[in-house]
Amino acid sequence: MRRLFFPFLTVLCLIAPLSDGFAQISASSADFDTQTITLALTQEPPQLNSMKATDQVSALILGHVMEGLLSYDRRGKIIPGVAEKWEIDSTGATFWLRKDARWSDGKPVTADDFLFAWQTALKPETASEYSFILYSIGNAEDINKGKKPTESLAVTVVDDHTLTVEFETPIGYFDKLVAFTTFFPARRDFFKARGDSYGADAKDLLFNGPFRMTDWVHSASLKMVKNEHYWDRDNIHLNAINADYITEDSRARLNLYIDGKIVHTRLDGETYKDALTQRQRIRSFTTGSVFYLEYNFREDRITTNRNLRKAIQHVFDPEEFVNKVLATPGNLPGRSLFPVWLGGVEDKFRREYKAAEPKIDLALARDYLEKAKVELGVEKIPPLVLLVGNSPTSAKQAEYLQGVFKEKLDIDVKIDIQTFKQRLAKMTSGDFDMVAAGWGPDFDDIMTFGDLFASWNLNNRGRYNNPDYDRLVRIGMTSADPKTRMDAMGELQRILTEDAVIIPQYEQGVIYLMHPKVKGVVRRVVGADPDFRRARIVK
Amino acid sequence: MTDSTLLKTRLQAVSNLDFSPSDTVQSAEQISRPSLSYWQDAWIRLKKNTRALVSLYIVIGLALFTLAGPILWQVDPALQDLNQLSQAPSLPKQAIFVEEHTRWEGIVLENFPAEPEAFLDVLPAPTNLRTAETATTQAVRIAWDPVVGAGGYAVYRNQHLPESINDLGLPLGTKLAGNEVSYEDRLNVEGRDYYYSIVSTDGYDESDTYITLKVTPDLAITKTEALSRGLITEESIVANGETIDLEFHPFGTDYLGRDMLARLMEGARVSLFIGIVAPFLYVMFGIFYGGFAGYFGGNLDAILMRFADFVVALPFLLFMILFKIAFGIGPGESGVLPMLIALVLLGWPATARLVRGQVLQIRTQGYIEAARLLGAKDHYLIIRHIIPNTMGVILVTLTFAVPAAIFTEAFLSFIGMGVAPPTPSWGSMCNEGVKTMLSHPHELFFPALFISTTVLAFNLLGDGLTEALDSRMRSRE
Repeated sequence: MRRLFFPFLTVLCLIAPLSDGFAQISASSADFDTQTITLALTQEPPQLNSMKATDQVSALILGHVMEGLLSYDRRGKIIPGVAEKWEIDSTGATFWLRKDARWSDGKPVTADDFLFAWQTALKPETASEYSFILYSIGNAEDINKGKKPTESLAVTVVDDHTLTVEFETPIGYFDKLVAFTTFFPARRDFFKARGDSYGADAKDLLFNGPFRMTDWVHSASLKMVKNEHYWDRDNIHLNAINADYITEDSRARLNLYIDGKIVHTRLDGETYKDALTQRQRIRSFTTGSVFYLEYNFREDRITTNRNLRKAIQHVFDPEEFVNKVLATPGNLPGRSLFPVWLGGVEDKFRREYKAAEPKIDLALARDYLEKAKVELGVEKIPPLVLLVGNSPTSAKQAEYLQGVFKEKLDIDVKIDIQTFKQRLAKMTSGDFDMVAAGWGPDFDDIMTFGDLFASWNLNNRGRYNNPDYDRLVRIGMTSADPKTRMDAMGELQRILTEDAVIIPQYEQGVIYLMHPKVKGVVRRVVGADPDFRRARIVK
Repeated sequence: MTDSTLLKTRLQAVSNLDFSPSDTVQSAEQISRPSLSYWQDAWIRLKKNTRALVSLYIVIGLALFTLAGPILWQVDPALQDLNQLSQAPSLPKQAIFVEEHTRWEGIVLENFPAEPEAFLDVLPAPTNLRTAETATTQAVRIAWDPVVGAGGYAVYRNQHLPESINDLGLPLGTKLAGNEVSYEDRLNVEGRDYYYSIVSTDGYDESDTYITLKVTPDLAITKTEALSRGLITEESIVANGETIDLEFHPFGTDYLGRDMLARLMEGARVSLFIGIVAPFLYVMFGIFYGGFAGYFGGNLDAILMRFADFVVALPFLLFMILFKIAFGIGPGESGVLPMLIALVLLGWPATARLVRGQVLQIRTQGYIEAARLLGAKDHYLIIRHIIPNTMGVILVTLTFAVPAAIFTEAFLSFIGMGVAPPTPSWGSMCNEGVKTMLSHPHELFFPALFISTTVLAFNLLGDGLTEALDSRMRSRE
């Protein structure tokens, strides 16, 4: 064992002399003449069947090679996609498809392609994890559970270029849903010809988006070129997107970027200081995800005590947390379950419905704590188990919380560090008092967050159960009137703070490097991110 | 005697001294210096070995640091000082009192368009970049003049003067409207030079020009913070702008503003506890086991030593994990006890082998045979002859086992198997420190220095003891 001592020192010596030379990005990752960019993917997409895709990398690729009925513009507003106009009311929706929308083999994109994709996604044997997102369509849930045949889906193909949808219940955000990956089209004859291998390789897919995939060497590289049949091809400037590298190692990606091999990489707490010393231009972007502390509301847990939760609420300062503990730029202090970018009635939701900010007040917190002790009948609050992930920063965050709880409330905290899968298992089985959790949006509507703590939601891991909350969620899901929905969500936001259901920590920001000559790249909170569809390379 | 006296008298009488035989010097057989015991001799030789002696003083110093240190340096090692995050070692600092921080709505120009009416090809950089208020470490508020055609601004902060547009530093944030012309920075602001840069954007893309302002925020503290840190009392009357001494951190602070010196002292307790108790226990067991096997020999020896070989083959890390589970050590609880047990249960064979070899050798020596013939019993032989003669080997094993155990603890805490936060150990402190090695080297340097020094001191002391306790080297100058 003594021998270990020497390798340890050797390793230290090897790491120490890191070069800080100024690295100039060469032109190879973004070539002006050919309008070609090179990327590194973090992971290999498991497969590219849009009906089954769940992960971020698949969403990124599919967002470039496919197009739904509707799409998002640079500002995140809904714009026409395959559908050139649409009408949505409380009972249903009608989409008129553009005549010049074509698949990459030149055949037109028709209404049947959407019907077929949606039916396939709902088939029980497809086992799509995102099938629930289609439940607002009439009979969708029954089809998915095998109670009705797929033909009963309340979608009608009026003609090749007209599609009507009947809703199960009124829904106020169907336009935003149809821009989601699961709603992308698939052509019946092609899908049947490929069978199970649909989406498994470049040749096993048909594309209707601005790009088409030409080459997919598994776990090595993936190539996309401009789709010459795309209806808006004149506004697509890039000729090719080459994902030549697939690596999860952020330091390897940073080195690739510095060597001029790729145009974009995300930085983390470990690599951003290197990027700074390398004098790279760092940018930041808010991912739209919210991170919070979730309590366990199962009966035998002391966190069911509201006064205890209130006491914690009044000592946790999200601003201090963001500025001093996270201490990387881009994060916003958490004030609500609803992040700032969500739209409200007319303006942003958070501007229309201000989130209450619990005052950081030690005396008040201790009052609550005393009440909690009386109610629980204990002299001292027993140690709380805080479940966190195993990233380097989450241990630091947990230690900060442990310090705050101990110093201000004299509550001991045991930190339970687990891998993502294990943490999810423990969350599901309820083996925690508090858990550091986060939620990223699926679609651009407030309900992607709002229904999180509904009693029926499986992602409500703490089993919070409040009939008022459930009632408000139902209003939010089924009402077609924006004002009614937002009022309900405003009330729901108030309950979340009032009842201290969660302690919002921060809205996540990321920092990244983007080749300075690549313009028009859009960072999105929902959909393909980063979005290179309308990007161009300047001289 | 009488004869010689007579002779002497006679010789003196005849004064024939030259022909007399020389006097027998009785004292010739006397030893010229006082008799030295084994230990006295060993100590004398150890004292001549400067390296070993210095190591001995370091070991004594460490013991004092661990035991007496916390009495002299009464700082809570878990107390987080968020005003002094990752501070390098420095002299005491002073801060000025400022108002409690209140939300700043910023400057939004009413008569300026939020979104540009037309996109310009070239956007100029903003002008008149200035601090809106006195910059303090609580908040830095900067403002600038709007740019026609801008749909927003990006704010950057760097620690050196930017050399180009690619060298602006941290992207603090963006303003998404052309008429929002101020920014408040509270992101871990320290009392050092900062270079703030502003770049205009059209709402999406940033322009290629920028303006930079150098700001040096004053170290500031609010009354609430000073109260919670115990720097002032409720009754103290302090005016804004008054200066106050901040807590002194001679070894700096870590990533949560905890005092490094206090943490090193508390960490030493865990590291040295494991480092001394575990080897002591397993060396004791090893002596007993090895002595037994060696002395009785034969089949018993063969069986016992094969069992020792079996234990050597057991993987330590796996057992460490198994013990952790077997003891029901839940998440977030200290793993020091299973670590101790795993070390003791798996560490003894080396000592046992060494002692056995030594005993095998000693028991065939002539003096043992002689003692046995004189009727000495087994236990007398073991206690009087064998153990003292193996003492040198035993002490040396012990001094080498101590650094090994300290290093094992450091290694296990480094990979997260050891102590649970907030309790520090030198190993876990290294683990935290290595993440910020380039930006805050002191967080790694001090615990690493302590581990290295301790391990080196015990090793050198062990070397010194080997030489000093070797009885064959005795009195050889």
